[in-house]
Amino acid sequence: MATQVFSLPKTLKGDVKYSFCPGCDHGVAVRLVAEVLDELGIIDNTILSAAIGCSVTTYDFINVDALEAPHGRAVAEAVGIKRARPDKIVFTYQGDGDFASIGLAEGIHAALRGEKITAICINNTTYGMTGGQLGPTTLVGQVTTTSPTGRNLEYYGYPIKLAEHIALCDGTAFSARVSLDSVPNIKKAKQAIKKAFEVQMKGLGFGFVEILSTCPTNWKMSPDKAHARVRDEMMPVFKPGIYKDVTAE
Amino acid sequence: MVECLTDKKVLTKGNYAIANAAVLAGCQCYFGYPITPQSEIGEFLSGKMQELKRGYVSAESELASINMVMGAASTGVKAMTSSSSCAVSLMQEGLSYACADELPFVLVSVMRGGPGLGNIYPSQGDYIQATRGGGNGDYKLIVLAPSTVQECVDLTYKAFYLSQKYRNPTVLLADGLLGQMMEPVEFYDYPYPEIDNSSWALSGTKDHKARIIRSYGPLADDRCRFLEKLFQKYKTIEENETEWEEINTEDADIILVSFGSTSRNVKTAMKKLREKGIKAGFFRPITLYPFPSKRLAELSKTAKKFVTVEVNMGQMVDDVRLAVNGACPVELINKGVGIPPSAEEIVSRIEVL
Amino acid sequence: MQEKNFIIAGFGGQGVLLAGEVLANAFMLLGKHVTWYPSYGAEMRGGTVNCEIVVSDEEVSEVNKADTDYVVALNQASFDKFLNKIKKGGMIIANSTLVKEIKSRADINYLFAPITKLAEEVGNIKMANILALGLVAKASKLVNLEVLEKALDNVIPPHRKNLLPLNIQALKIGYEYDLLHV
Repeated sequence: MATQVFSLPKTLKGDVKYSFCPGCDHGVAVRLVAEVLDELGIIDNTILSAAIGCSVTTYDFINVDALEAPHGRAVAEAVGIKRARPDKIVFTYQGDGDFASIGLAEGIHAALRGEKITAICINNTTYGMTGGQLGPTTLVGQVTTTSPTGRNLEYYGYPIKLAEHIALCDGTAFSARVSLDSVPNIKKAKQAIKKAFEVQMKGLGFGFVEILSTCPTNWKMSPDKAHARVRDEMMPVFKPGIYKDVTAE
Repeated sequence: MVECLTDKKVLTKGNYAIANAAVLAGCQCYFGYPITPQSEIGEFLSGKMQELKRGYVSAESELASINMVMGAASTGVKAMTSSSSCAVSLMQEGLSYACADELPFVLVSVMRGGPGLGNIYPSQGDYIQATRGGGNGDYKLIVLAPSTVQECVDLTYKAFYLSQKYRNPTVLLADGLLGQMMEPVEFYDYPYPEIDNSSWALSGTKDHKARIIRSYGPLADDRCRFLEKLFQKYKTIEENETEWEEINTEDADIILVSFGSTSRNVKTAMKKLREKGIKAGFFRPITLYPFPSKRLAELSKTAKKFVTVEVNMGQMVDDVRLAVNGACPVELINKGVGIPPSAEEIVSRIEVL
Repeated sequence: MQEKNFIIAGFGGQGVLLAGEVLANAFMLLGKHVTWYPSYGAEMRGGTVNCEIVVSDEEVSEVNKADTDYVVALNQASFDKFLNKIKKGGMIIANSTLVKEIKSRADINYLFAPITKLAEEVGNIKMANILALGLVAKASKLVNLEVLEKALDNVIPPHRKNLLPLNIQALKIGYEYDLLHV
């Protein structure tokens, strides 16, 4: 008799068309979040505060209640949801444009207040949905449609290191940066995401995971080359690791 | 005032009256950022909401507070934020989203001088901001304008009710004068029925399929249908909820139109004009949206002239002109910012019109 | 009763807003319509602070009226600022400890009393506001001591109730100040 060894997480909808580009890591990241919600048994008690950018359509794919926030305000809306319904598990799923750029104030202040929510932020070094412009995480030297000769310091300054910044906030319970470039790293990523939800469930404070991801379309690369870029160019600058974990030892 | 008082007349500021009424209305969450002349609202609620174990956040900005209130509203609870003029400007994006998302909550807007940073004195310069909005797209906010501290209580209750009933943000449009002024008021139990939000509120998928509260609709046809439905709702609001006060209008040659705190001096001016033998009437829109256009149009058949009195450079006068639609002249008596013109001043300015 | 209005003015810190609130509260207890409106904002820092109280049997006709029946001036700046706002036949009650006794208008009544000095004699200079309230209440004949005491009790917050007896003492000294000796 056949044994099923692989299936769609319950949190994911099986009957919808996924809108992420081929090879984009968003698909993997959403799946990891879904697996974590499955494993923690919190699918029916969770509310998503959805962001603007490529991440916006996430609410179409997952079986949780969702509120679409204006650009940059996903954390603020998550805070509102959580303060109204402290019994719910509340999370955001945002890009770096949403969290690190227009919504940085909300992210930092939620972390400082120790809001019991979880924020997941995709870092792909560009504004993906609008066609690959320079964002707050664009690497020095990186060519984008608004940095045609590469990110230079004179005009653009430096990219932000989110996981480190969020870890500095006293209300943060967990802050990590992970990568999806390889199977071992994907496994680590899932553990970090799980931890970021667990600290919320335990009421310990703000949980944050920055996920290094590919954007093959705007990077104009094949998926495997894009993963190589994550390894060779992004990870030396955005070093994966756990920057804060109040549950450690 | 730190106590939550009921069943007894108390002397209190408009700001405290609003805050206390919000608590009594069952407001479960308040989010705000300080700005004169409405900071007492957040000050009062910071203590009270914590004492009652309700939601309170001293938000990092008005951008954050309007979005926090939207988040809370999405779960079906009564929620509120408050601010003033230049900072209400920061909330316009959120208000557009909230109308599109059909999120019910109350925004208390205590007007001060503008444009820009302006000043902290009373003003009615945000009539257009409240009734037209600075956000994108087609939407309407329900707007209620109190003229006394007692009405700050009455209309706070009503604002919560209408927002819940119609799933639409509702603005309580007060001003620095009402916010800072003390008058005796009576608090009483929330007089409206509670609205069941369980058919749409976000609560987790234990008893329903996953819900999405969203304004993004990639298909133009879907969007058209949504807008038609939204504006059908606004039509219902216009039919059912338009509210105004009128005195001595039936035989009036000249009808003075004014809203909010300014209307108090205007009412006295009308009485003084009557004493002088001038047939003056008084008309006060209480709901600024929906605006009592129909009634003004009726009155334009018998009145010879309308005069709007406003503390701004002339904003509501446009709505009166639209309502009257050329049937008779509509004049403006105004003052840019500050305490409303005195009754005597209004009378003498009307006499030279 | 005809509509009457009062302006109570002084330095920031002299408690004029509180004194006005007590007066307004007393009128409320008498079942009157009343408004209390403060000067607020930037001008509170260092300059004069004032509040206006309007009392009426009917709806209060206006806020911030063009002229006033009574002015209480606790300092010279307030005296100078509001002297010309007083109605013909109206009254100014001035703190002669800090205000020069000059009667430049012949069409109004003056009551100069050493309010700060009297408050010092009560034992707390901060009682000047309430002492002045006693003076203006008596002069206006609109509210009696008993109601004012009740209003004081309403206005003084629970954690300051220990100061109630001293406030009542100051109120009485103001109220019982012999107006005929002025």
